[in-house]
Amino acid sequence: MLKALWHIIRRELRTFSKRPIFLVIMIVAPLGFLWMFTSLMQSGLPTKLPAALVDEDDTHVTRQLTRILGTMEETRFVMQTPSFTEARQAMQRGEVYAIFRIPKGTTEAVLTQRQPVISFYTNDTYYIAASLLMKDMRKMSEMAGLAMTRETMRARGFTDDAIMGTIQPIVVESHPIGNPHLNYSVVLSNLIVPGLLMLVIMLTTSYALGMEWKRGRQLKLYNMAGRRTWVAVIGKLLPQTMLYTIIFWLIDLVFYSYLQFPCACGVSRMMLWGLLAVLASQGFGLLMFEAFPGQMRMAMSACSLLGVMQFSLAGFSFPVSAMDEPFQWLSNIFPLHHYFLIYVNQALNGYDISYVWPHVIALVVLILLPAVFTFRLTNAFLNIEYEP
Amino acid sequence: MKKPTFPILHVWLDELSEIVKDEGILIFIILLPIAYPLLYAMIYNTETQRELPICVVDDNMSARSRDFIRRVDATSEVQVAAHCTSMAEAQELMRRRHVYGILRIPAEFDQRLWRGQQAVVGLYSDLTSMLYYKVEYLAVINVAQELNRNIKVREHQTNTTRREEQLARWPIRFDEVKLYNSAGGFAAFLIPPVLMLILQQAMCLGVGMSMGRSRERFRGLVIPPTRHYKNTLAIVLGKGLVYFLLFMLMAFYMAVCVTRWFGLPQLAHFWDLLGFFVPYLLACVYMAIFWSSFIYRREDCILLFVFMSVPLLFLSGVSWPGASIPPLWRAVGAVFPSTWGINAYVRISGMGASLGDCRQELMALWVLAGVYFLLSCFVYMFEIRKAVGRTILG
Repeated sequence: MLKALWHIIRRELRTFSKRPIFLVIMIVAPLGFLWMFTSLMQSGLPTKLPAALVDEDDTHVTRQLTRILGTMEETRFVMQTPSFTEARQAMQRGEVYAIFRIPKGTTEAVLTQRQPVISFYTNDTYYIAASLLMKDMRKMSEMAGLAMTRETMRARGFTDDAIMGTIQPIVVESHPIGNPHLNYSVVLSNLIVPGLLMLVIMLTTSYALGMEWKRGRQLKLYNMAGRRTWVAVIGKLLPQTMLYTIIFWLIDLVFYSYLQFPCACGVSRMMLWGLLAVLASQGFGLLMFEAFPGQMRMAMSACSLLGVMQFSLAGFSFPVSAMDEPFQWLSNIFPLHHYFLIYVNQALNGYDISYVWPHVIALVVLILLPAVFTFRLTNAFLNIEYEP
Repeated sequence: MKKPTFPILHVWLDELSEIVKDEGILIFIILLPIAYPLLYAMIYNTETQRELPICVVDDNMSARSRDFIRRVDATSEVQVAAHCTSMAEAQELMRRRHVYGILRIPAEFDQRLWRGQQAVVGLYSDLTSMLYYKVEYLAVINVAQELNRNIKVREHQTNTTRREEQLARWPIRFDEVKLYNSAGGFAAFLIPPVLMLILQQAMCLGVGMSMGRSRERFRGLVIPPTRHYKNTLAIVLGKGLVYFLLFMLMAFYMAVCVTRWFGLPQLAHFWDLLGFFVPYLLACVYMAIFWSSFIYRREDCILLFVFMSVPLLFLSGVSWPGASIPPLWRAVGAVFPSTWGINAYVRISGMGASLGDCRQELMALWVLAGVYFLLSCFVYMFEIRKAVGRTILG
């Protein structure tokens, strides 16, 4: 039996070496994405986003205000104009993400204590950029107001402590757990790069199996395996398992050892979860192939339609808890969702694994579930022909 | 050829009748563009996180700390789901994922405020989702700023008139305006780009499958060895026209029906949309034809095109700000119509930009359409030569 397994593995490796598409998809693409996403988001948090400044007053007072605004971390004024229309058009052309507007009469209002109104416009069709700019702007606006009061109080002879106790009595100190710099790259890369690898695994699993039917060799394979379905399947998939595990581990090493992304549980532990994720994705692909036995195209279509959705349903950018109930349920069938929660628990937060055991179990179930439907594959080996 | 229109029509009818018969292609060019936008719109339909459960550790237990907690609870962003007596207890709830944040009020909160000192409130956020941090921070900072103003005015400054009090509260008033997506929702931000991406990806999958099948059927050739397939221009135009017309329908289905059903912003005029969809779909069609010429088996196109979707969304610069994308990746993104198409569509449909405002994107799309069209012509010229060579030999 081991001999049969070994023969099938060798046969599979020969197929890989003959078809360049396998090598491109299995090795070049995942490593390419690793390079792409880590260099794309190198800065961690986008800074110095372009914004426009509309200064309708253009006096020394407003210029002082704009100098303060110019020190903001996220904002860079790339455009200064007296006309709001011009700034809005720049926004519609996509040149700026936000407009800061100091209306006519601001100086007068400041000098005569008549409560000037300053407006800030963000383009919320660019969500992340707008959120970052809005946060910056809120901080600055609050600070600008406070600074004015502070000057008055200093003039009246208050100490700085007393002043701060008056103008900002309650201070909110925020602690984003596990990622104190709010580094987008850390979490996003950790979701997308393994996620893409997992999508590739699902697709190639059903592709490699379907290829047998396509070339009309499914019976030959079945006989090679000594008429044992599970030997045939394991022989076909084991070379991929090894290859993908190595790639997954390479990703882990690049993330946690080379780029020093936070990893509270140690690299070796993450490698274990990586192995589990690889197997679970193969299980998912196999399950799809069992759902459409012998029909490579249908299985691959199902894998791709569902596989692309798993990025949304993993819940990093938009949380699963905010989605409608059916989608919260649906998210549970995806290996990426479970892997991501395990990653957050283990690497980001460093909690005990017992808190996410349902997700570990879910991955194991995805690995084992295909075994239940082996009979469908056996039937496919014997009775089903390839349909284009 | 005597009648130059005839071969185009012939190729067009051929291709149309082939894809109508092919269930595999129909899934990608009909089902995918119809169903996927609905699915995505439903996922993000709730737009934002509301009433996120957090817990509170109140070490102060004063009237003021309770007031603070009540105000936080009253925000639409979060709800106080639990009151814990210690941080350890709160952390346990967080690890169990019963709550997604901890608000901690220190022991001397009220006393410090009465003494005129600063009191520091701690907010600990779970980062499973970035949105958790955002909504918690917004909720707490809004409450803190509101209370700060009250304290400043009522306890520290003696104001004689209401107007003076107002001024002390707000020396400068700030107006925050979220343009084009006033609720700050997720669907309005993500769905328009996804729609454009679906158009391109569905096109690539459909065309790829059709060409892969031709190669399987005609022994490695992408054209059948009949006399109608001798004219490069006719083949390229005829094939392109099938997908172009079909996806024009799909594009309007997305821009009109999906957008209206889910209440997404649509500020575009019909002619602006048309003026954008024509170059975008042309660029997509011919890119699909060109890349598909490298496909030798029909299933290979799924392998090649599917996982490109997520990286392409990033390269377009709607999610990760385009201004922060390194030049190398911007150059890579420029090769794909989706990069330009997404940016142009977002502006035209979401921001009411005119075609003139998107001049750069439209030019790029026309250039891409032209380049890919020429490349497709070369591919077919080469294929025709191969086919002719074969028929002579065979």
